[in-house]
Amino acid sequence: MTPYAPILTSHVGEPNSYSLDFYVTHQQGYEGLRKALTQEPGDIIDQVKTSGLRGRGGAGFPTGLKWQFVLKDTPNPKYICCNADESEPGTFKDHVLMERNPHLLIEGCAIAAFAIGARVAYIYIRGEFYHVQQILEAEIEKAYAAGFLGKNILGSGFDCDVYVHRGAGAYEAGEETALIESLEGKRAQPRIKPPFPAVAGLYQCPTAVNNVETLCNVPLIVLNGPEWFSGMGPEKNGGPKLYCVSGHVKKPGVYEASMHTTLRELIYDHAGGMLDDRPFKAIIPGGSSVPLLLPEHLDTPASFDDIQKAGSMLGSAGLIVLNDSVCMVWLAMNLLHFYRHESCGKCTPCREGCDWLYKLLARIEGGEGQPKDLDLLFGVSSNIVGKTLCAFGDAAATPVLSTMTLFRAEYEAHVREGRCTLTADWRAAHPVMAAH
Amino acid sequence: METVTLTIDGQPITVAKGRTVLQAAIEAGVSVPYYCYHPGISIDGSCRVCVVKIEKMPKLQTSCSTLCADGMVVSTREPDVVDARAGVFEFLLANHPLDCPVCDKGGECPLQDFSYTFGPADSRMDFPRRVFDGEGVKADVDFGPTLMLNRNRCILCTRCVRFMKEIDDDAQIGIVDRGAGSEIATFQEQGVHSLLSGNLMDVCPVGAILTRDYRFKSRPWDNPTVVDTTCTLCSKGCNTSAWLKAKPEWAKGSRLIRMTPRYNPDVNGYWMCDIGRFNYHWVEGESRLRRPMTRNGDVLEPTAWHDLQPRLRDRLRQARGSSESAASSVQAPPVRFLVSAHASTEELFVLKQLVEGLMGSEGLNAVTLAWTTSDKAQPAGTKFKVSRTNAPNVNGARDLGYQVGAGNEGTPDLSALRSAIESGQTAAVYVLDPGPDGSLGDTSWLIAARQNGTLPLLIVQGAVMTDLASAADFVLAGSAFVEKDALYTNDQGRVQAASRAIAPPGEARDDWSILVALGQSLGLALAYESAIDVRRALAATMPDTPYASADLLVVTRPVAARNWLQASNPSERWKWDFLYQDLPPVKGHSVQMEGISPRAAYIPLKLTE
Repeated sequence: MTPYAPILTSHVGEPNSYSLDFYVTHQQGYEGLRKALTQEPGDIIDQVKTSGLRGRGGAGFPTGLKWQFVLKDTPNPKYICCNADESEPGTFKDHVLMERNPHLLIEGCAIAAFAIGARVAYIYIRGEFYHVQQILEAEIEKAYAAGFLGKNILGSGFDCDVYVHRGAGAYEAGEETALIESLEGKRAQPRIKPPFPAVAGLYQCPTAVNNVETLCNVPLIVLNGPEWFSGMGPEKNGGPKLYCVSGHVKKPGVYEASMHTTLRELIYDHAGGMLDDRPFKAIIPGGSSVPLLLPEHLDTPASFDDIQKAGSMLGSAGLIVLNDSVCMVWLAMNLLHFYRHESCGKCTPCREGCDWLYKLLARIEGGEGQPKDLDLLFGVSSNIVGKTLCAFGDAAATPVLSTMTLFRAEYEAHVREGRCTLTADWRAAHPVMAAH
Repeated sequence: METVTLTIDGQPITVAKGRTVLQAAIEAGVSVPYYCYHPGISIDGSCRVCVVKIEKMPKLQTSCSTLCADGMVVSTREPDVVDARAGVFEFLLANHPLDCPVCDKGGECPLQDFSYTFGPADSRMDFPRRVFDGEGVKADVDFGPTLMLNRNRCILCTRCVRFMKEIDDDAQIGIVDRGAGSEIATFQEQGVHSLLSGNLMDVCPVGAILTRDYRFKSRPWDNPTVVDTTCTLCSKGCNTSAWLKAKPEWAKGSRLIRMTPRYNPDVNGYWMCDIGRFNYHWVEGESRLRRPMTRNGDVLEPTAWHDLQPRLRDRLRQARGSSESAASSVQAPPVRFLVSAHASTEELFVLKQLVEGLMGSEGLNAVTLAWTTSDKAQPAGTKFKVSRTNAPNVNGARDLGYQVGAGNEGTPDLSALRSAIESGQTAAVYVLDPGPDGSLGDTSWLIAARQNGTLPLLIVQGAVMTDLASAADFVLAGSAFVEKDALYTNDQGRVQAASRAIAPPGEARDDWSILVALGQSLGLALAYESAIDVRRALAATMPDTPYASADLLVVTRPVAARNWLQASNPSERWKWDFLYQDLPPVKGHSVQMEGISPRAAYIPLKLTE
């Protein structure tokens, strides 16, 4: 294992790690903000650009560039929206940061607001994270009381308010424009782009939407310099990274590492190896929406670029590890059950297609499938990919296309033999919620 | 005007800057299907059938949401576009019930028409269709007092949602649930309560929202003719189309089958209100006057026009003569006229000549205009405000020199007329009211004056058997607004024409001709042969006004619907009339398919092994 000292999660095990006192005492708390306020906003953006910080939410878009696109010459206010609607299956890193290290996020929000010229930051938190919201709000109160938020922060003349808004429980609210719609009090459905949020976002004002982990890295960059950040990890993939390892591993959890770390190291060194020491079959490396990788990819570094080269995406770094007991048809059906339930229903291909895909997969998995269903499955998926309003459609079709491409034999076995290759016991132990 | 030039399917097209690719395609006559786009409401980009390929863009783009740019190269016919579009159509029809034979929209349905042109020949969907019928739940439900909603047919384009939010300014419609379970609904299932509700049937591209008024009444192919006309139920003057059902002479029932809005950006946009849309049944209703009548004791007896006219002449002469010995003067004319502001400008013009011929230049003092006003309950921010004045032609009367007080801004003043009648100074009252019942407001005092003998003679010329008409000595059967070529001047001062869609029933006549015949019988030289004669004379007497060219206003006649889609909702029709034909005809020759080989024009069938 490459020696690595956690930075983002260095103290999350301490009982008081969430408190302001702890943050100031042990983590150089709000020093980044103090330093940032002595500089020009443009300099902050330049530093973030130089650092090569890439969005941790899924797309891996350079954060500095995103901030630079935020419209400057406008009479309208600007906004920072922190995307804390962590809903991607297999992803649970932002939860840890917000629950155990909330001030890092609050500081990141303040610096980001300063950098783009906003004075309000909204943290849009997932509906199910009720207790996290309570912690965050309590800590925001303390940050106000200590003068790190509010009017004239640290005597600099800069004002910044941070509000927490809890969603009502929709995966789609994690899409940046749907998040903005939801924040405005509407249904969480995506908007057509362009215009992008950087031009017309929240209340049609210039807005930057950033993931929690992304914003948490900002104080570190300001404090330690962009070179420190970019030096940690492969080129263009710098900085600390949180990995959510789940599935068939001995110790599932959030692990912090540099992006030099390979998938094999994450599974066998960090997460303690395969559950029950069964053979590794495949891994979904970036949350449920990305293509699977096979054993031959295990030595791929878990960086944005390397995973992409291997044919998948790092996404939100939710590593779902699968051992040889997993039926790939069942996997696809399980995931499509989720996507079908979460499709917002705004655009036609996603609304109708996800439902159709799920029905097809359920039929095949149930042993009722016919040979033509496999082509149909492929055809329906292809009719969704690239035709939807937001990336949801692509995400929903990916599990089907990926499992069909890599494990076609399993699908054919279901259709030909009318049954699954897995034992009935295993199925009984892994029930899929009934469709409703 | 700043323009941009782009290429669509190899054809260079120049459009105004700010137009979308879809709008450019429509203008150029390139066939691109769409559902969520509607020219009158905001862009949604959700139905995904308008996808096109644009060079240098990695993915297919929705043309409704892509702005035209100089040098853009757009393709709507390349195989990947054709496939993608067909794929979306397969999705749209996957859960659509395809109950076209019993659906009112069938035959004028954009989903039908576009699916035939762009959709796959066959659906691969073999699961049961999604239905909203269930225990205690029906898919086909009441949707407020004027509408019905069929959720099974809905394709969730959300035009109705956006119409209510943006045009009506009362977002009563929303979507509940999400994903494949999404359904159009109103809060607490209370339905749509709006003065603009009928427009929802027009914006709905499928048969999901239907008006109760038109439901199960006709099929598009049974409405072969349509007349462009003007609504006269308030002073707004919405441009409308009157739809006529084809039926044999002997068949019962009405010919006028529905009213729909006709696009006019300066007056009503794409919309009309429910009053104009649904309140046309009186035209062919039970209480309609079909023949002239004279009083014989307690009863009104049908009379032939040629019998009635001499008797009417004699009674009027008598009325004028009897009061000449008394203090007959300009201030107390013996014969007074009560005229509804539903009278057209031509009728008011002839009437003016009549009263001036009889009483000299002060003759107009004998005429009192009447109309009603009512406050319409509409949200404060509505984009379509219905006028307060319930009559079409107060401004027309003012322009001709009639006294209308504050006009559209105020209420009519009948006090002088009433005191003149109730004091017994008036020998006869001639009422002209071609509007629906109630157009004159309260007339009980006039009825009472006639019945207690204070008023010796009451003549009513109108379209409906009102209480006032049943108290009259002479009832002259006139015509309603859809039965005549007539001018009305709306509250903006625009001179607009209504057109004769159907003939007046029975022996009823054009109102101007009744007045002309009356004038002639009283010895006046009113020489008009036709409505257009009156209009020409009117134009000649009012130079340098909008009326000067009124005789050039098009008099439209029922025209054959050139295509089923013309018998469709107004936005589709508007495209046909103003933006060329962007939809292929359902059958027959297609202009836009000229020069295109059939191979390219049809989408190859997708065969599944």
